[in-house]
Amino acid sequence: MEGIETKIRETAKALFSEKKIDILIGHEKGSLVFHSRPVMIRDANDTERLVWNSFCTNNLAVYLPRFFEPKKPKKGEVPPPLPRVAVIAKGCDARSIIGLVRERQVPRQNLIIIGVPCEGMIDKSKLEKLLEGDFIASGSIKDGGTSITGFSGKRLDIKKEQVLLDACIECAFPVVEDADIAIAGTSRKPATEKYKTAKSFSEKSPAERWRYFAQEISKCIRCYACRQVCPNCYCKECFVEQTNPRWVSAGDDLSEKMVFHIGRVFHQAGRCVECDACVRACPVGIDIRTFTQKVAQDVKEMFDYCPGFSPEVSPPLCAYRLDDRQEFITEP
Amino acid sequence: MKQGILTLSELTKFIELLKTSYKVFAPVKKEEGVFFEEVNSADDIALGYYNSKLPPKRLFLPQCEVLCTFENGQLVEIPIADEKCAIFGMRPCDALALSRIDMVFDKEDLKDPYYLARRKNTVLLSLVCDKPLDTCFCTSVGGGPSSGDGSDIRMVHLGNRLLLEALTEKGESLISSAKQFLKKPKQSDLEEKEKIVAESEKKVPRIKVDGIKENLEKGFNLPLWSAIAERCLGCGVCTYLCPTCYCFDITDEVKGEKGKRIRTWDSCQYPLFTLHASGHNPRPSKTERMRQRIMHKFFYAVENFGRTFCVGCGRCVRSCPVNLDLRESIELITGNKACVSTRK
Amino acid sequence: MGAEEQTVTSQKVTAQSKNKTDGWKPKVVAFLCNWCSYAGADLAGVSRIQYRPNVRVIRVPCSGRINPLYIVKALQEGVDGVLVSGCHPGDCHYISGNLFARRKFAILKNYLTYLGIEPERVQFSWVSASEGTRFAMLIEKVISDIEKLGPAQKLVKEVSR
Repeated sequence: MEGIETKIRETAKALFSEKKIDILIGHEKGSLVFHSRPVMIRDANDTERLVWNSFCTNNLAVYLPRFFEPKKPKKGEVPPPLPRVAVIAKGCDARSIIGLVRERQVPRQNLIIIGVPCEGMIDKSKLEKLLEGDFIASGSIKDGGTSITGFSGKRLDIKKEQVLLDACIECAFPVVEDADIAIAGTSRKPATEKYKTAKSFSEKSPAERWRYFAQEISKCIRCYACRQVCPNCYCKECFVEQTNPRWVSAGDDLSEKMVFHIGRVFHQAGRCVECDACVRACPVGIDIRTFTQKVAQDVKEMFDYCPGFSPEVSPPLCAYRLDDRQEFITEP
Repeated sequence: MKQGILTLSELTKFIELLKTSYKVFAPVKKEEGVFFEEVNSADDIALGYYNSKLPPKRLFLPQCEVLCTFENGQLVEIPIADEKCAIFGMRPCDALALSRIDMVFDKEDLKDPYYLARRKNTVLLSLVCDKPLDTCFCTSVGGGPSSGDGSDIRMVHLGNRLLLEALTEKGESLISSAKQFLKKPKQSDLEEKEKIVAESEKKVPRIKVDGIKENLEKGFNLPLWSAIAERCLGCGVCTYLCPTCYCFDITDEVKGEKGKRIRTWDSCQYPLFTLHASGHNPRPSKTERMRQRIMHKFFYAVENFGRTFCVGCGRCVRSCPVNLDLRESIELITGNKACVSTRK
Repeated sequence: MGAEEQTVTSQKVTAQSKNKTDGWKPKVVAFLCNWCSYAGADLAGVSRIQYRPNVRVIRVPCSGRINPLYIVKALQEGVDGVLVSGCHPGDCHYISGNLFARRKFAILKNYLTYLGIEPERVQFSWVSASEGTRFAMLIEKVISDIEKLGPAQKLVKEVSR
């Protein structure tokens, strides 16, 4: 891990000194134990702030569209040139970035994707669950193990594998394929069994599935954190905020919350890269993963499409085949 | 009767007594964290909790509240809550936050009947903090682990018993009604309480807020605001989890001839919050919105109400998906580069 | 106090209070594409082919025009079933509208079923302008499927206190 951190800093410094970039988006040390957070670097001297550890969970692609928003210049003035942005990208971040490139939110030629080998990120909520409600007061990581001490003084030693994010355990693309600069190192091996969460959920009875869906969605407080952290949710006006037509009202009826979540997941069809940023951002701990993964699985199985690669390929819902599946069509 | 000792073995009966006259809410441990919910018995209560995930303000200012119902163009009902409730075990910071919101919803000339009815019908039993977290900073913003502002009864957990102290008339009458379960506190109980409170106050991390109001007054156009807000995603979690945030939106929900007018939580961090019908937005980017949040809490509120509208509960710090730390922002503004002091 | 928990039980209570099973008649919304399915329905009418009246038709220019949210909203408003019908693949008046729609509906149908909504509540079909009899049979099938399921309870929104 430390070797990678040094290489990231060196790469960043070189990019700035060679004047190849204006901004670099990476991770820096957070203000709480076991937290890393996004940082925007604009100067070679700040590159020492960059870190790389098992807590660099944020999907940095979410910051890209705002740098490339078209700006209307004043009359007679030339619009300012678009910035050149470098991003420290794990496998999931890179796929989000390519997704944004495909949807023309971000110009590929202005991006430098620095692919970092990812061994999986630690899920802090799993750590807290092991502490049974206690919060993490201090902790350290070494040699594939994590040691944490809660505020009550209780100490636990755990293997890193036990507390990885579900998204990392089931990750099929840990290696960044389209990196402009690839930092050397070992990545996780891709998961062999894909869509485990969705598959095991499908095996439950419909009544059980509905009960679980209602139970999870009833926790929602409509804060829209899931939408804001998602790199794909860049619409200027989200469907929940439209008043003409009014798709969803602001109330806390369970039915309204369900329509919001069904709508949001459906809008991610063929676009969601399963980075789970939404799951981590949710303040009330809704199991969004069980729902987003199903649509990703269907898109793969029905249309043989996985988002995040080859920006020139049409997204699945903008394309068709004459022999698409239609076993669901009712024949009277 | 102003004080009493309740042994934890009697807690079940105490809760049962409360339930005869009140709906009792207490911290309940769930998989995702601790939440304030209605409890049926003392067994459901997580007495040794740190703080709840969502602030208990939602019991007074619900996430969605019906203001009135109408049918065929006629007003049908204005539902004002009249259920008596007891909140058992709220933390002093959250109780202090309620007294802050009282200043907004209970003015001389403007009173909010929905919120005030709930406040009137609720008795608050707050629980003194004996184990602050590293994200707490109540002592720096006018609060403290044993602050009594906003609560009717203050409870201190002393080993196998709770010391109850009435702070208001409502609290006094509740304690008197439960006197069959309460013993007179001994001098040693009171001394133990003082010890716990003093230790707790030492443990709460402090941040440097001196001069924040003046610096904010002068600092509206400082370039540091864009640095502070740069990684903000505008997700609104900070405002939803903040016990003193109270902004709301009012909308109508109509189906055919029937409808209701509802009030829901809103957040100044959303771009739609200040979007004008003309399309102009006076707070067009996250920079302006983040600046507004900090200004509101630490400057405008002090000007308008004489109090900081932050109680140092630390929920925004803990739950921000990008670890935007309010404490760091404050210290940037007050010009102090020193790190947040840690627990001893 | 107002801090009601939005649990499944509150949803169930609302539905039960509707008591729709007494004399309940299914209400099905049919989104029909103007060029084929709507014309097919017209043909059924002109030919005096009898079919159950429990269907409300909404004419759209093409099945590809259907936003999946229309289907979800319809279920939310309390209809017992939704039918979307378009031209046969290859015959779309707009060349490929129904082909895009086919993909959208495949995902939507799978997703709603995955969440636990009965698959027979949301149905899709292809009916051409000359298939009047087929349209009538389709309506009969859909309505009898919905009748077996009973009134819709999931996703239904009540605007009440």
